[in-house]
Amino acid sequence: MKRISWIDIAGGIVVVAILALAPVFAASNYLTGVLTVCVIYGIWASSWDFMSGLTGRENFGHSLFIGAGAYTAGFMATIWFTNPWYSIPASIVVAVTFSLIVGFPTLRLRGPYFALAMLSASAILQRLCLIFWEYTGGEEGLYGLDPMMRSPLHYYWFVLAILVVTVIILTLLARSHWGLLLRAIRGDEATCQAAGINVTFYKIAALAISAAFAGLGGALYAHYQLQVSPPLFSVVTSITVIIMCYVGGIGSIYGAAIAAILLTLLTEMLRGFGEYRLWIYTLTLILILFFLPNGMVAPFWRRLTERFR
Amino acid sequence: MLQILIYGAVSSAIYAMLAAGFTLIFGVARILNLAHGSFYALGAYAAYVLTSVLNFPLFIAAPLAVLFVALFGVVMERFLVRPLRSSQLAVLMITLAVSLAVEQALFIIFGSEYRNVPSFVAEKLTIGGVDIGGQRLLALVMGVLVLLLLWLFIQRTRLGAAILAVSQDPEAAQYMGIPTNRIFSIVMAISAGTAALAGVLVSPFLTVQPTMGLLPMVKAFAIVIVGGLGSIPGSIIASLILGYSETIVAYLISTSWTELVSLVAVVITLMIRPSGILGRRAAF
Amino acid sequence: MTALLEVNDVTKRFGGLTAVKGVTFKLQKGEITGVLGPNGAGKTTLFNMLTGFMQPTAGTVTFNGEPLKNLAPYQVVNRGMARTFQLCRPFVGMNLLENVVVACLSPRANSDKDKEDRAQHLLEQVGLGGRGSEPVETLPYGDLRRLEIARALATRPDLLLLDEPFAGLGSSEIEPLAQLIKKLHREEHLTILLIEHKLREFMALVSRVIAMNFGEVIAIGPPEEIVKNPKVIEAYIGKTEDAHASA
Repeated sequence: MKRISWIDIAGGIVVVAILALAPVFAASNYLTGVLTVCVIYGIWASSWDFMSGLTGRENFGHSLFIGAGAYTAGFMATIWFTNPWYSIPASIVVAVTFSLIVGFPTLRLRGPYFALAMLSASAILQRLCLIFWEYTGGEEGLYGLDPMMRSPLHYYWFVLAILVVTVIILTLLARSHWGLLLRAIRGDEATCQAAGINVTFYKIAALAISAAFAGLGGALYAHYQLQVSPPLFSVVTSITVIIMCYVGGIGSIYGAAIAAILLTLLTEMLRGFGEYRLWIYTLTLILILFFLPNGMVAPFWRRLTERFR
Repeated sequence: MLQILIYGAVSSAIYAMLAAGFTLIFGVARILNLAHGSFYALGAYAAYVLTSVLNFPLFIAAPLAVLFVALFGVVMERFLVRPLRSSQLAVLMITLAVSLAVEQALFIIFGSEYRNVPSFVAEKLTIGGVDIGGQRLLALVMGVLVLLLLWLFIQRTRLGAAILAVSQDPEAAQYMGIPTNRIFSIVMAISAGTAALAGVLVSPFLTVQPTMGLLPMVKAFAIVIVGGLGSIPGSIIASLILGYSETIVAYLISTSWTELVSLVAVVITLMIRPSGILGRRAAF
Repeated sequence: MTALLEVNDVTKRFGGLTAVKGVTFKLQKGEITGVLGPNGAGKTTLFNMLTGFMQPTAGTVTFNGEPLKNLAPYQVVNRGMARTFQLCRPFVGMNLLENVVVACLSPRANSDKDKEDRAQHLLEQVGLGGRGSEPVETLPYGDLRRLEIARALATRPDLLLLDEPFAGLGSSEIEPLAQLIKKLHREEHLTILLIEHKLREFMALVSRVIAMNFGEVIAIGPPEEIVKNPKVIEAYIGKTEDAHASA
């Protein structure tokens, strides 16, 4: 449908190259670690943007899928001692299952109610983690996971590759007729029905796809941090991801990924500010909502490359 | 048994106060105010600052705290919420952002240790063999009183009628000469004020710490969803149901399950009957 | 010959209010039938029940020989019944072509390889050819109506329901739209059921009229007879005594 112009591809290649080579030149394990987290947030953000950015049904409980993927990896590693690589398909399956269970009843609710239902669902899971602390490790969670690869740099490249694949898949889907249908659902659901479209199916499918990638990111995060704990299920995680998508430009997907990387880097640089970090985040959200509702990254890139299209 | 009854009543009353304020601003201005819990926390902290830091006597500190938070709510509505009124989701996000910001600010300023606020009523009373702190009883009585006054205010006064008019149709109300924007501010003040009052009342016997607004917010939200957004009678019924369910769960299973009660109630309500018990533009 | 659409004793109650009561009629293939009635007569409620947006409290609807029971609107569309809305609500944020392409993606319409081509063709059919890349927000109301029809046609309907297609149109827009409806009726072998207030255009289009009032069918027949039917006149103008009294 919407053709992807060569300048976008070129831009993407440049960005990926920078990301891939930066830790090599900096020769710093610290940077590699930070960038790994940045990239994982990129996966989480682009997965949110695909569902909520396109359909306009904002999901305030994305952390549900993130946590589900992460804890799946955690359980598999610490209780069943499986090979870390099995976490990847397992986390996807679990996250998608959650999305189907939660999605069916909640997707027919109107915007704010869907958002709040998802928020409640993720909060319930966070609480359950604490209640059943004998199985989940409670506040401290599960630790002692094995890394997937011995070299942090190689793992980083692996995660980066997954981000690239994620963005490509989601972008292709968004630009295809699928994406058109999702945007139509955002436009008017009754009209979609009148056009013969099974709205519920597409909404649930979008949520499931979003959950799959979010869960995958969760597993990758678990095998980076080598531990999982309840804050993964928190509303703060969900809101952080949402802020990234807003900064990136809702619905653009690549914008969400880039904004996620930049914001996570920024957070790391602001580490000196300690407790003020979350404050700055929420202020950012407020400012963006008021002054830049279309985000920063995607509009900026579009303006920059206007003449090449 | 009687213990459950009485303690349950106290919980219900507090949550009902919170829920009433929350549902009021939704019913009138269609604002889902996720910062409502912050008003509660701010009320408690304001009482703390005024009494322990500035050494005001309690009977001055309490109304001042309520006033301060009411003003905060009005300013928030005027400058942060009103410009975004066209999108309910944007309002949701910005109120959520405010609640997080307030929580963080309280954490930065006051740290995470629990603060102490002196009680209004220091004596313990014994009712039917059950010991209950006088402060808790006061909270219960005040809660019921405030709800009653609120109901009377809306049903019997001219301003109350104006509020009802705006809640049914803001545009039509405007055509009739009702200053809709000013009504929004007034309702916000009442909403924030009742939340703050709840915070002030519980601060002597509940822990005052930066995240104190979160759990009550979840519960108030649950009450409002179960009872029906926009309906004060619905909120009262739901707060009784939830308040007592929690107390029973706490006794029978464990206290860590109580938060689940509200959350599960929300999810079930949204799935089975999203409009709640008495919901959908039900009159106050 | 079996009727395309059979509506049998259909009733809709909302709590204490009966919006539609005991409506019965048949539509034969190829007819253009009109539903006439004052505001509140239950016409749109009837449409909603035919198209799955509401379920009847009682009665049955049979389409192409199969009963329509508890179907979601999109399922009804995929059986061959399409509708337009009184208040056009296009997909904002998209252009005209994309609006039609969405309907081309429905299962019933899905036989084409190139959806965009088909959408272009449909736009041309309704007189919006060559304007596919225009954003839908800038479209005047008359063109929005045409877009609605293009969208409905995309699903290859056997029966097309038009809910007040002439509402809100200026006098210069009505006649071309009426011509378009006639043309499509011929070219696409459509059966059409339409609701309309504007008597003149209505009478010129339809071969049969179903007159409703207060949720019930009060008369069915060709336009010339309906116009003279005393019950219909009473519904629209009131009893002659009332007319005198209020004069």
